[in-house]
Amino acid sequence: MKPMEISKEKAAFLGRITASVSHDIQNVLAIIKETSGLMEDFFLMQQSGGLENFDAKVGKCLQTIKKQTYRGVDLTSGLNGFAHTSDVHQISIGIFGTLNRLISIAQRLFNQKGVDVSLMECPTPCSILTDPVLFQMTVFSCIECLIDIIGAKKAVSLDIQASEHGLAIRIVCQDTPLAYDDYSPKLIQSTQWTAINGLCEQIDMSAEIISDVPGILISIK
Amino acid sequence: MDKIKVLLIDDEIEFVETLAERLELRGYISKIAGDGESGISMLAKESFDVAILDLMMPGLSGLDTLRQIKDIDKTVPVIMLTGHGATKDGMEGMRLGAFDFLMKPLDINELLEKIKLALNPSAQG
Repeated sequence: MKPMEISKEKAAFLGRITASVSHDIQNVLAIIKETSGLMEDFFLMQQSGGLENFDAKVGKCLQTIKKQTYRGVDLTSGLNGFAHTSDVHQISIGIFGTLNRLISIAQRLFNQKGVDVSLMECPTPCSILTDPVLFQMTVFSCIECLIDIIGAKKAVSLDIQASEHGLAIRIVCQDTPLAYDDYSPKLIQSTQWTAINGLCEQIDMSAEIISDVPGILISIK
Repeated sequence: MDKIKVLLIDDEIEFVETLAERLELRGYISKIAGDGESGISMLAKESFDVAILDLMMPGLSGLDTLRQIKDIDKTVPVIMLTGHGATKDGMEGMRLGAFDFLMKPLDINELLEKIKLALNPSAQG
């Protein structure tokens, strides 16, 4: 990929994630707005003749607002951290933290396709020196590829594997009964697979199709 | 006069529950569905005067839900809810037969006005 193409792809990726999170933030604000409106309704009713269980009703509204405020804080913190990954082209990043944030803020995009993406706990702290946006794009593309090409219907899981041979990220579908001979050609022939390999080249990683279960292994050289 | 019956379809349950309560306080009957499939199944079983439909939902999308609603009942007016920046989807929904669309966060008075207009389109200026 040429530098111009990479910049365009990066901008598209950042825009896509940002649009999805901002949609979630709008939902949070919509709930807070409706709930405060409902409280207003309750206060008006209380003033003009009294409202049964007024305290409990207002208390429930306050709980909703509090819960949504925390949700909003999580979303904006995640989005802010994600946005700052584009500040530098190469930096040392914690793999678990970076992927955990990516999955958290991109979950809506996966949920739209009915798929829940999860990251397994990683007992060993693992860091890599890389381009953080390209790294996240690579992993995101692998997840999307499993959903769109292999047809993951419910769940995709990510597992960070550290061994004496190096670091790897195993991304697998947990609900597709396809055999290797079925899913391997589908992946190889897809434009997404070509794009994933192009991204891997940029960040000195490699992608291979897993043989025992539909999935992709990203190895960090 | 019979109460107006509204079906609210949105995966943000706290949003629809609150909106339903506010509509009930204003004399409407409101029922909620947490996804497109449930909304379609409710519409197939009972009649509603108007449906409020979120465009961005997991599983069956808002636009696909709209298509299926129109297959079941062409006459039920559908008001879609969308985020700012997604007006293209809103316009596409109108092309598919939706009455109108509103942006989230909502203004309850604007929604009430749209419901009135949806039930009496000749009053639209």
